[in-house]
Amino acid sequence: MMTALNTLFLLLVALAVPGVINRVRARLAGRRGIRFLQHLYDLRLRLRKGAVYSRTTTALFRTAPSVYLGAAIVAALMIPVGDLRPLLAFEGDVVCLAYVLALGRFALILAAMDTGSAFEGMGASREALYGALVEPALMLAAGTLALATGCTSFARMFDPAALPGTQFAVVLLLLTYVLVKIVITESGRVPVDDPRTHLELTMIHEVMCLDYCGVDLAMIQLAGWLKTALFSLLAADTLAATCCLHWWAAAPLAVALTGISVGVVESTQARNKLARNTTYILTVAALAALAFFTGYLLRLNIGLA
Amino acid sequence: MLFLYTLLILTVVAAAIFAAPPKAKAWTALTITAAAGIALATRAAEVLAAGHPVRLWNTVSPLPGPDTGSMDSLSAFFVLLIVLGAIAATLYSRGYLAHALAHKSPAHVSLHYTSLVVMSLSMLGVVTSDGGFSFLFFWELMTVASFLLILFDAERREVRRAALSYLIMMHVGFVLLVVGFVRLHAATGSASFAALAPMFAEGPFLPLFLVFLAGFGMKAGLFPMHVWLPEAHPAAPSHVSALMSGVMIKTGVYGILRVAAALGDAASLRTAGLIVLAAGIATGLWGVILAASQNDVKRLLAYSSIENVGVILIGLGIALLGKAAGNHTMALCGIAGALLHTLNHSFFKTLLFMGAGNVLTQTRTTSLDALGGVAKQMPLTALLFLVGAAAICALPPLNGLVSELLIYMGMFRGIAAGSETLAAAAGLTALALIGGIVVLAFAKLYGTVFLGSPRTPEAVEATEADNVRIAAMALPLAGILFVGLFPATAAGLATRAAGFFVATPAVAADYLLSPTLEAAGRTAWLLVAVVALLAWLRRRTLRGRKVEQGPTWGCGFTAPNVRMQYTGESFSEGLQSIVPSLTRQDGEGDAVGKNEIFPSAHGFEIRRKDRIDNLFAAWWVELLRQMNRRAMRLRTGKINHYLLFALAFLGLVFLLSILNLL
Repeated sequence: MMTALNTLFLLLVALAVPGVINRVRARLAGRRGIRFLQHLYDLRLRLRKGAVYSRTTTALFRTAPSVYLGAAIVAALMIPVGDLRPLLAFEGDVVCLAYVLALGRFALILAAMDTGSAFEGMGASREALYGALVEPALMLAAGTLALATGCTSFARMFDPAALPGTQFAVVLLLLTYVLVKIVITESGRVPVDDPRTHLELTMIHEVMCLDYCGVDLAMIQLAGWLKTALFSLLAADTLAATCCLHWWAAAPLAVALTGISVGVVESTQARNKLARNTTYILTVAALAALAFFTGYLLRLNIGLA
Repeated sequence: MLFLYTLLILTVVAAAIFAAPPKAKAWTALTITAAAGIALATRAAEVLAAGHPVRLWNTVSPLPGPDTGSMDSLSAFFVLLIVLGAIAATLYSRGYLAHALAHKSPAHVSLHYTSLVVMSLSMLGVVTSDGGFSFLFFWELMTVASFLLILFDAERREVRRAALSYLIMMHVGFVLLVVGFVRLHAATGSASFAALAPMFAEGPFLPLFLVFLAGFGMKAGLFPMHVWLPEAHPAAPSHVSALMSGVMIKTGVYGILRVAAALGDAASLRTAGLIVLAAGIATGLWGVILAASQNDVKRLLAYSSIENVGVILIGLGIALLGKAAGNHTMALCGIAGALLHTLNHSFFKTLLFMGAGNVLTQTRTTSLDALGGVAKQMPLTALLFLVGAAAICALPPLNGLVSELLIYMGMFRGIAAGSETLAAAAGLTALALIGGIVVLAFAKLYGTVFLGSPRTPEAVEATEADNVRIAAMALPLAGILFVGLFPATAAGLATRAAGFFVATPAVAADYLLSPTLEAAGRTAWLLVAVVALLAWLRRRTLRGRKVEQGPTWGCGFTAPNVRMQYTGESFSEGLQSIVPSLTRQDGEGDAVGKNEIFPSAHGFEIRRKDRIDNLFAAWWVELLRQMNRRAMRLRTGKINHYLLFALAFLGLVFLLSILNLL
């Protein structure tokens, strides 16, 4: 029951976040904006279409969207919403999450290389590099949570019974900041990537999907929403762990955190030059290391007292 | 006596192979390897099941020290690994060398197969001897056999060069091992591994530990002694690369494990753990970054072997630190992860080198920028290579994830329990970064070689490799799938072998690890099911709709051509810009001039060299050469000078003897 509820909230967060981002961006620009559920209508439209495939591609290109979406689904099933239990909870799911997502990334990169297009190769190479650099940040964030709670599974880390003491609040706040930055990086948003850019040369994620259309593109988009949702929920859980770790706090917090931060950043900031992206991501990793070290010092102090 | 028996057996093997008709030489070699291998593997399985060591031989030796061989759980584990790798590689060689039979003399081919069998058997000898001089004997036999195997294409200059540099480096390592064993024998009266523990317990352990680490590290490809690997693997025939990279470098890992297991007290365990962890991190990161920068299939795979040795050592380092801190779960996870990764790496690296061999024979090149689109011509090889590449990237549902998961768990357990937190966090960061860059390296390799459009006519005309080779590749594939989909069973094997290192009984070890591994196995199956379901739904949705074929979207450019595809070099350009100092760029050819409005044909080649690849060649070879030049001044060619030297020598002897110095 709790697990079913958890999955339901996950799905709701995934479907709501793009709408909130659009709404926030429109309001900040002084517009009324498109319908809240417009992205779902677009999805339905895509699911009704046929397909055109490049002659260069092989069966791998046709399988990749299923792998990408499947990986995102399985990864999302490991994330707890507040105090609810996820479907997959075991010691080490922290590691499995990162590697299941890496499977999806690997599939999409290869699909992009399969088209033989220079632009898609460019996007693939960037995605591979940024994905590699995000990995240490993610692991250090998970390591900090393990350090603060003494547990090694998401379900146990965000268990209201095993909450870290209030002295860890500063670490958790820093970690939330790191995780929001990871959300922005992993879902290809400004300042790392701009989903609305019109120039293929400067795209990262979008350029990899240039040759996809219809059902395949719909699957890739859905997977993107799920990935955004799962990282948002991690950030929201971490923030909620400082005061009240409940599903009714975590789920809206996830929507608000990502929706507002992405919306505001996209309305006020320009995207990075591509060469600056590596610095940006390494800074996130450095912040994660800082959070870890702070947590370590705090725990030493507790040990002495 | 052991030496005599071994020489006798080897003579019989050589006679059998030399006597066989050319076409049957491969099958003769395979029969001998498989017979010896399976006989020993059944013993190994019994040892792993029962948990008691068995004595294999006990002969009188003219050399000092006991000359015995036995098989405990660790030896048994490595015996299984070697037998699987050796059988797959020998089977593969049948198809791979088929084209060489025409233009090589039968004696040449016989020598190659004899060396192949000798190498497989000597590796089995290495992991079953109790140490001391029989160990060194088998170790040397293995080195010489692999040297002969690398030399198969000896008419090429770079092959001779690589083989010679391999032989020299291995003997530097051998000298270190001799020093280590002689020191051990001098101190305890026995040169077997069993004597290490009392010796480490008594005096300072660090000098001897470092000597052994360097000696075994030379074989394993430990940074900065890895420089022979990327030279030797591209030079060797592909089944030899598979055997060396998949299996032989693991004997170095075996040695390091044996030495590490002899450490007893917490302080020395901790020091050794930090050293091994640091060595593992350096090796892993250096290997993976260099792998991502390579533009040749086999060089890339060779650097990735270095990276995997790094991962294994990170696991061992975590295990040592866990043992030092008294955190048994951390120690168990680390050592089981390291052992299982050793086995896993032998599976996927064998598969990948065989795939590279197929590409090499069918297209005559392994340069990334001369290939492309090979998946259409060689679909089976492409599929098998894809599985191997995904497995080496530790992607679920394959085997790489299982062993890395265990190592990660060791680190997370350490962090959660507060034992060696900072060291575990360093390992965690490094392993995560390695994991990320491996994906980049193998996406580059697979994408440039197998996907996209063919860059040269050779890539267009490639045909699929023969069935024997595909069958040989199915052996490691089975291992990859088994470990990936039934992780708890596979890890049971590793925990039994881990008995040499941790005191935890196998049953308790299973109890500790199996909940996680079973859950990981369920996740793998769930992933397979979800992806299959989605693929089926997608097919169903598209049924009856209009599905067309068209050109790749050129972003408005109407005449894209094959040369505009992203190349291997451009794929890793972003990584290069972050770590420019690890590689040296060698360019050849001329660039297009500024005033050439219509550029003529130009050739330009870039090679990325390891910044330290001449660490072992540069300074001391130069020193020797200088000393030699100075000594040459004495060689004047005049007889009166030589008489003067003789007189001076006699005078020196006289002077020294009256001063009582002689």
